[in-house]
Amino acid sequence: MTLTYLDWVIIVIYLTGCMVAGIWMRRFVRGMEDFAVAGREMDVNLGIASLAATELGLVTIMYTAQLGFEKGFAGATIGVIMALAMYVVGRTGFVIQPLRAAGVLTIPELFEKRFGIKVRWLAGLFVVLGGVLNMGIFLRLGGEFLVYATGLPIGYLEWVMTALLGLVLVYTALGGMLSVLVTDYLQFLVMGLGIVVTSVLVMANLGWTGIVDGLSQSWAAPQNGAAATGLKMSAHPFNPLHSSSFGWGYILWQLVFQTAVVTTWQTTISRVLSSKDEHTAKRIYRRTAFYLVGRFGLPGLWGAAAFVYFAKQGALPEGLDSLTAMPAYLSTILPMGLIGIVVAAMLAAEMSTDSGYLLTWATVIANDLVEPCVKKPLSPAGKLLLTRTLVLGIGVFLLFYGLWYQLPGNAWDYLAVTGNIYLASVFTLLVGGLYWPRANAYGAYAALILGAIGPLTFLVVNAVVSKSHQIAPEVAGASSFGLAFLGMFLGSWLTSDSDKVAASSVAL
Amino acid sequence: MKNIFILFWAVMIFSSIAWYAFLLFYVGFKGGREIGRMTRKLKQQSSPGPKGTSGP
Repeated sequence: MTLTYLDWVIIVIYLTGCMVAGIWMRRFVRGMEDFAVAGREMDVNLGIASLAATELGLVTIMYTAQLGFEKGFAGATIGVIMALAMYVVGRTGFVIQPLRAAGVLTIPELFEKRFGIKVRWLAGLFVVLGGVLNMGIFLRLGGEFLVYATGLPIGYLEWVMTALLGLVLVYTALGGMLSVLVTDYLQFLVMGLGIVVTSVLVMANLGWTGIVDGLSQSWAAPQNGAAATGLKMSAHPFNPLHSSSFGWGYILWQLVFQTAVVTTWQTTISRVLSSKDEHTAKRIYRRTAFYLVGRFGLPGLWGAAAFVYFAKQGALPEGLDSLTAMPAYLSTILPMGLIGIVVAAMLAAEMSTDSGYLLTWATVIANDLVEPCVKKPLSPAGKLLLTRTLVLGIGVFLLFYGLWYQLPGNAWDYLAVTGNIYLASVFTLLVGGLYWPRANAYGAYAALILGAIGPLTFLVVNAVVSKSHQIAPEVAGASSFGLAFLGMFLGSWLTSDSDKVAASSVAL
Repeated sequence: MKNIFILFWAVMIFSSIAWYAFLLFYVGFKGGREIGRMTRKLKQQSSPGPKGTSGP
């Protein structure tokens, strides 16, 4: 597929609009509070747009479509669970309400009030390592979508994504969260339009019945039809509880995991901390919750449709796999003129996620890793300069680590483990710190260490044993949470209360 | 049993498309007004007094 003149006009207008809006917001940045949490002036609808745009990146679209391709509609179950978790947290205020009330810039900052400065620093390190490494894969996967959806030569991938990251870096470093919020709003609109248009086109192309029948036939008769040519649905395409799909164990594990994600993932929590008050934060969560069903369900629909389409063709064309099948399929159904909107939408998805993540991790490094180590407190201007420099620094790091340098081995396993280290330990510290009066610094250290040792052990074990003896992801994940909570309980219970640091300073 | 799951996913998928389309207009309208309010407030805060010259 070749982009027409009209497509290019749409893309250029979108990019210019984002840059102008992003740079324009720079004039309102007076200090760190404006830069990191938008002066805590974010209201409900802007919060919905920002949260939805940040958490729906091009990388999300790629892997949720892959789930749709491999597991059918059942692959979207994770989105349903995540939506449920976000709604319950938004209804009850679990974790997010006291977190917002504490008036902190980051999660580790809260830990200093509860457990002391060393715990803050160590937790900050976990947050940054997990977050930055997680983000390392975004650019390449996003670039692969653009290459396969538009027919761009593969050699352009690195250059296109470098230019895109450059644009994001300019407005994020200048305007911080204020620029991120306004560009997220524009990106939410463009992205939403592209997702709706694409979903309608997919439905029009194969029809709901056509997709359902195609998946059913491939699953029910693996010895015939599509399966005979090498493309078969090996998991039940509708029932996530079926043993060939996720199964009960994985679903139960996801209930815990997604609760941790919506209460602990720093980019999500940044929107809680930027909101006007706790009540606004809870409303943002409740109203964004159902968006997460579509976050998995709609790209999942495209992935499932891609499976049915290529199954009818006989097999996947050479060079395609379950990850790149969806953009390749879309390139066959998107009419000229609409491809510009869809490409702009996908650029929006990539840019909104990148900007939110860059700002968040830079803020944590400045606020929780650097500032506690300097003897003389940084001036507001100095802290702002440091954070802006870190935004640029992380951008350069990602460029080489995630785009120009190819990760050896299975990057997904590596990232899943690092993400688990962060979520298990930091979630435990948050829950213990906010809801258990006996939690203390010893428990926090034990939770951080055990939360890290567990997943690393599983990584090593899975690397040396045969595939049939490897530990299942849900067992590895649940164990890391179990170990972190055990560490918090035993560490706090077995030691005295003498090391508690200003335990009452946090509003519980 | 299979039909129940198919019905469930049909509701989820079609509701998602409808929800995304609705939010496009609802959040588009309300969010735009909130940006206007936020920038006005930030502009007032950044002005030191009646003669303040900072801001756009």
